[in-house]
Amino acid sequence: MATAQQPAAPSVNRGVQPLRAGQGYSFVWRKLHSLSGIVPIGAFLIEHIVSNFEALKGPAAYAEQVRFLNSLPLVRVLEWAFIFLPLIYHGVYGVYLWLRGQSNVVYYPWAGNWMYVAQRYTGLIAFAYIIQHVLRQRFMGVSLPEHPGAAFHKVQVELQNPWMLAVYVIAMLAVCWHFAYGVWLFAAKWGITPGETARRRFGWVCVVGGVFLAVMGLAGIWAFVGPKYQNAPEDVKPAVTLSAPDMPGFSPASRAFLLKADS
Amino acid sequence: MAAPRIIVVGGGLAGLSAVIKIAEGGGTVDLFSIVPVKRSHSVCAQGGINAAKNLKGEGDTTDQHFDDTIYGGDFLANQTPVKAMCEAAPSIIDLLDRMGVPFNRTPEGLLDFRRFGGTLYHRTAFAGATTGQQLLYALDEQVRRHEADGKVHKYEGWEFLSAIVDSKRTARGIVAMDLRSMALRAFPADAVILATGGIGAIFGKSTNSVVCTGSAQSAVFQQGVCYANGEFIQVHPTSIPGEDKLRLMSESARGEGGRVWVPRKPGDKRNFKQVPEAERFYFLEEWYPKYGNLVPRDVATRAIHKVVYELGLGLDGQAMVYLDLTHIDKATLNRKLEGILEIYEKFVGDDPREVPMKIFPGMHYTMGGIWVDNDQMTNIPGIFAAGECEYQYHGANRLGANSLVSCIHGGFVAGLNSLKYAKSAPAVEGDGGAAAEVARQAEINKELIDNQGNENPFKLWRELGTTMTEHATVIRYNKGLKQADEKILELLDRYNRVNLSDKSQWANTSFAFARQLYNMLELSRTVVLGAILRDESRGAHYKPDVPERNDEKYLKTTKASFTGDVSGPRFEFEAVDTQYLKPRPRRYDAAK
Amino acid sequence: MPIKTVSFEIRRQASPDAPAVWESFELEWRPGMNVISAMMEIAANPRTRDGRETTPITYDSNCLEEICGSCAMRINGRARMACSALIGNLEQPIKLEPLSKFPLIRDLQVDRSVLFQNLMAVKAWVPIDGTYDLGAGPRVFPQQQEANYPLSNCISCCCCMEVCPQFNESTGFVGAATIAQVKLFNNHPTGRVLKEERLRALAGDGGVQECGYAQNCVEICPKGIPLTNAISDVGREVVVQKAKDWLRG
Repeated sequence: MATAQQPAAPSVNRGVQPLRAGQGYSFVWRKLHSLSGIVPIGAFLIEHIVSNFEALKGPAAYAEQVRFLNSLPLVRVLEWAFIFLPLIYHGVYGVYLWLRGQSNVVYYPWAGNWMYVAQRYTGLIAFAYIIQHVLRQRFMGVSLPEHPGAAFHKVQVELQNPWMLAVYVIAMLAVCWHFAYGVWLFAAKWGITPGETARRRFGWVCVVGGVFLAVMGLAGIWAFVGPKYQNAPEDVKPAVTLSAPDMPGFSPASRAFLLKADS
Repeated sequence: MAAPRIIVVGGGLAGLSAVIKIAEGGGTVDLFSIVPVKRSHSVCAQGGINAAKNLKGEGDTTDQHFDDTIYGGDFLANQTPVKAMCEAAPSIIDLLDRMGVPFNRTPEGLLDFRRFGGTLYHRTAFAGATTGQQLLYALDEQVRRHEADGKVHKYEGWEFLSAIVDSKRTARGIVAMDLRSMALRAFPADAVILATGGIGAIFGKSTNSVVCTGSAQSAVFQQGVCYANGEFIQVHPTSIPGEDKLRLMSESARGEGGRVWVPRKPGDKRNFKQVPEAERFYFLEEWYPKYGNLVPRDVATRAIHKVVYELGLGLDGQAMVYLDLTHIDKATLNRKLEGILEIYEKFVGDDPREVPMKIFPGMHYTMGGIWVDNDQMTNIPGIFAAGECEYQYHGANRLGANSLVSCIHGGFVAGLNSLKYAKSAPAVEGDGGAAAEVARQAEINKELIDNQGNENPFKLWRELGTTMTEHATVIRYNKGLKQADEKILELLDRYNRVNLSDKSQWANTSFAFARQLYNMLELSRTVVLGAILRDESRGAHYKPDVPERNDEKYLKTTKASFTGDVSGPRFEFEAVDTQYLKPRPRRYDAAK
Repeated sequence: MPIKTVSFEIRRQASPDAPAVWESFELEWRPGMNVISAMMEIAANPRTRDGRETTPITYDSNCLEEICGSCAMRINGRARMACSALIGNLEQPIKLEPLSKFPLIRDLQVDRSVLFQNLMAVKAWVPIDGTYDLGAGPRVFPQQQEANYPLSNCISCCCCMEVCPQFNESTGFVGAATIAQVKLFNNHPTGRVLKEERLRALAGDGGVQECGYAQNCVEICPKGIPLTNAISDVGREVVVQKAKDWLRG
């Protein structure tokens, strides 16, 4: 019977805290994360995929590409400032964002919600892949900056392992997905596509762009595993003329340092 | 001198209006509400708010608004406050407009107005069909602004239990209960404003919200505040019957051209489309050619009752008639009525743009309420009342879209006058009786929790609702009203044996409800007994045995005082202020 | 003829620190029944399916017309308003749970006051000079009214916050409802005077940047408010505002 003195009232949890108006720096970090996905990382991705396409022309052309890039002034500084650091930031902060989100696609299986989840998984795949890719191709084995001619062979050896080939193919698809949807998200969240119609139309643009990139990327992989350049020599003399693909909007310098990390 | 501290109970339009005036006038406010104020019942108002802005070139004037309101209320309202309200209305609309209410607009960027019941002018400003929601939000936002400035403290989730009245019969604050911890607490104040809305729950199912129990009114009534014109209850002609409540279908549906009809042939089973125009009985248009579908609510409600119960023409033999919008183009409907059409679609499943709605009258508004003077103060100094919970603006029947303006105007008047009063109120002696009042409420709580018996408060409530709806709504007979009073007495007796299945002291909603139920039972007696006493028909109060108005005897305010005796409240009749308009017969079948 | 029945599974929790338990109820079916009327029925006869006596269910409700925003809860896993949840459209047994992102009070009742605090933080009001008579408000053309009215229809039910993967205790995200209100008041001819303050507020921690654009908010909103459009528009304006602030110092 509740005639006696009532016990102390239970305490209610605090719950989600209200907006901290004007406080903190998460806005800058969040926007930097978003922006870094487009520039420089996204731009570099395009450059990288397009230049890998060069491998379809054979080991010598590929070697010349690598050699050219490594001949740029301050190349080590550019490499760190515009590739490694942004990648580390985008990846690490991205994982942090993922951990703070609370997916509920089980209850609300809507397209946007699936994409939200997919963006996190593809990002994680991409980040894990990029770490091993940079370590194994840039910092381990033959140092390509000193031996650009060894580039084709090094990649080819890597892709001879069918598991590794699978990793590359999956990662290529994940990266392109993540980038294409990332561009769409960027446009939506920065208010470039503020209307339903604009977002739908731009969605198609991103789909086409993403598929195009993925196809090009897979073609680049094909260059190393296809029949045409099987058993490429360990070292080749770089071809004399640089036959860079047409890449409007990028100066030779930027193209150069961007391409470099991969070789 | 410290800023006057004023308590406002209720966060609907009237309460928030009062809060704003007080905060602006330099007072500090403690605002109490059972629900977060943004969820108050005012949010349900749909059609619009009246003001004679005369933006349609019709020559509308505030005098005309005043005349329509008094005439619509069958001359029972005191004319001085009503005149003041009608004169204030245009500036209230302007104010709301400045606060950002998204009123519908004309192509020139001015306010658009629609027609409503009981007038021949386009006098109703509206924001789609969710005007009450938009108005409430605008006031809520202003109050939030004052809250941010520290002038207002909200107690949301607290229920008003009683006023603290000192030995000199002056209000000194309130006792409220935290609906989470169920803890009681006294809140001292220089003045108290009640803005606690209608009493729909007394009728079981109504168009009112769950919190509209009238419990607060009843509590102060039991403490000595007079209750006036309790017998005047508005039954809205067009509501959607539901399992849990009656949902309102706004008068604006008719204001935008909606037509009420039934097939002329009793029990006609044809689809509405197959009933040719000649076989449709547009009874409001036939019986009231001048006002047509826009007769006042009491008139429309009785007409529907007659069609269904006397002529036996209810749809498919059921208590329902058509409210037809299908002849109006869809773009117009969506622009002006979307909110209410969605309600119908969601809760009934038919699209009213394609199929006529099936509607029936439902209890809607409480014209009567706490007795107040022209300053909105009750007979206990320091207790004010504003909004639907008081009696003064609508007489025997409220015109559509007058409630929002009366709530805001009343709230403003109460807010200003409470400040004035608080500044000159005599100093409180000791705690003003706060401790004693808390102890009294604690005792009531303890008794209720300790009660042993076999009655369920929700079942008692259903019985009350059934009785009240049957005997004290559209048609009233003295015999039935007496039966109803006997039933209430029986329920009051059974209330003593209420056994709560939940005796806990944490967010115990059935405990809070049981407390409200007692107050509902006490208050329902003033409705029923007041109706018995008034042996005439006036406005919403209709007795077939005495179908005419009797000004000689009953052009009076019914004023009830609580006695605590089984014989019920003590009633007296008070003269009505008719200094501006001489009472004349009220007929809507011809020009007035 | 057997009576048609409706079965419910309701998640009960006597207080925030009490354990959660499920209780089953079986009620007689009636046409037009909704979740609220079922819970009213339980209050009048508080017995579980197996006849055990229990207590009435604690839940928030008020208008029952889907306009006050009180009765949001999870019904069969999804956040929605209980008053407009017609039994006939629901799979049985009907599972009722409280919203998961807000502090639980009891049973299906939660504390959603964070939304009101957020509205205060972004100054969601038109700062009028006073309530004295200053004549008519600014002219507003019908197109503007038609753009603002939907935003003004927000009933503060908090469904958009409940379903948002980013609205949680670690992000402290403000949620779509508040962002839409910022757009509404920034659109108003007088409300605009606080535009910069609102935008700066929304760049604080938990601001618009936390949106992950999963778009659940706009899917779930019972009032069909164009929430994603509001997030995009406000997102852009916050960036522009912050850039201006940064450049001007």
